[in-house]
Amino acid sequence: MNAVTQKPFILWKHLNKLRWVTLVSVFVMLILIPYLHIYQTFIAAHAYDLLLADEKRLYDVMENITSPFVSDPEEQLDAIKGNTWSGTFWGFQMSDPLAVVGQISASLKLYWPFILTALVPFFLTAIFGRFFCGWICPATLIYELNTNLGALLRKAGLHIGNKRYDRRLKYGVLLLGTIIAALTGSAVFAGIYPPAVLGREIYYAIALGGFGSGAVFFLMTLLFDLLVARRGFCRYLCPGGALYSLIGRYRLVRIKRVVEDCNDCAKCSSICEFGLDPLRDNFGQECNNCSACIAICPTDAMTFYISPKDLAYQGPGHIGPKYRHGRAKSDSPASASQHLREQGVEHAST
Amino acid sequence: MDRRFFLKSIGAAAALAATAPSTGQAAKRNPSLRYLRPPGALAEEDFETRCIRCGQCGEVCPNRCINYFGLQNGLASLDTPYIIPRDQACILCMKCGEVCPTDAIEKVERKLEPILQKVRMGKARVDENLCLSFQGKTCGVCYRACPLQDVAITVGRLEQPHVTDQCVGCGLCERSCIQLPHAIRIIPDYG
Repeated sequence: MNAVTQKPFILWKHLNKLRWVTLVSVFVMLILIPYLHIYQTFIAAHAYDLLLADEKRLYDVMENITSPFVSDPEEQLDAIKGNTWSGTFWGFQMSDPLAVVGQISASLKLYWPFILTALVPFFLTAIFGRFFCGWICPATLIYELNTNLGALLRKAGLHIGNKRYDRRLKYGVLLLGTIIAALTGSAVFAGIYPPAVLGREIYYAIALGGFGSGAVFFLMTLLFDLLVARRGFCRYLCPGGALYSLIGRYRLVRIKRVVEDCNDCAKCSSICEFGLDPLRDNFGQECNNCSACIAICPTDAMTFYISPKDLAYQGPGHIGPKYRHGRAKSDSPASASQHLREQGVEHAST
Repeated sequence: MDRRFFLKSIGAAAALAATAPSTGQAAKRNPSLRYLRPPGALAEEDFETRCIRCGQCGEVCPNRCINYFGLQNGLASLDTPYIIPRDQACILCMKCGEVCPTDAIEKVERKLEPILQKVRMGKARVDENLCLSFQGKTCGVCYRACPLQDVAITVGRLEQPHVTDQCVGCGLCERSCIQLPHAIRIIPDYG
């Protein structure tokens, strides 16, 4: 039989662009919703003639944006409210699972109408893993741009921090947050969880006239990411990321390396925002299926597949120099080279 | 190194957790602040534990009366909604309760009976030394501003206002009082 491997589905390679579109549109919505709210209050006040010139401009712009979709903006624009922490879509409420965990630990009671609002995100996370972090989180957009800024600064010759800590730290943060919430009875996570903070602060800045204390926190996380550890908050500290990693531990949709097409270039490992190691098949529970490694792979050796478990280390890529020279002693552990030898035999026999 | 850092931070975090309750108590309510919670809000303690700080109540408020605490009222009420009636009072539209995902603000139908039963933001109180109607100058602005006219507030001779037990504390009277300092104000009910 011919050993030609199947090429991954062509669109997977472009999924990363779709991801950026999603991230940007979530962010745009977060900015638009406060403006729409102000527009609604202007309508409710029946006071167009009393508005200032700036306010009139805002009113007109919002009227132009919304008039194709709604006939009664004052009521109908209430359809979409909130942010990624908790939102309302045409009467259907969805909340972040972390909000539920935080709220249960703060009140020490199970309030089911609220818990059920996290059901859809919970199941999606169970299937797609930590997808929220890569695809929806409004802070991710800023953090990834921040990473790019860091790369530019490094190119300009500045020293940018690239420390690595233990990724399990964030599970500690999650545990600690629930304990503090239970002891003090207040929702700690809402104050230290970047998407919740950002969603709120954008609303404060636009509708209430200025940033609140959360903006300081968010700026500090940005500086931490830039100066200490790349994407440090998401990797090591974010309680939400910890919770999703736990929920998505046995996620079904995973990314794998097609070892036959891999040339060991290691671009996937250096692009990975979460510091994972796709080159050594080391995805684990913290992969958020962001598909950046698929997009950057020069030989199309990354693809999606359905499985509740990751593949074990498959050895060096088959079109890389290490495999072709048949020697992989230097950096692979003994068991892996054993595995590799078995695979090599298999390959030769086919 | 990694492991040591990990263990160290767990230790530091545990120390933080141990001190957290005391700081939480120390940063309790600021007595010089007179604020209202949105209509239908639970009693203060319950409200602070139930609220997840999503900010949707403010986003639906058509009157823009709902504002959010910074640190001025202690850490426990950080980012929780409040209303300062003199700045902008509640018009009892009850949209905030409809949108609240945790029912920290309970859902109350926008009808007289449910509002009278469930909403208790506070009670208005008239300072008769300041009120114009009690000084012989017919005013009656608070009576006209009240959304529950003749239920929550009645007027007597010279339109002198009398607040009844039915007052829910929306604050529209305080908002509209033409006296400075205001002669009618809401005494908040934090439950």
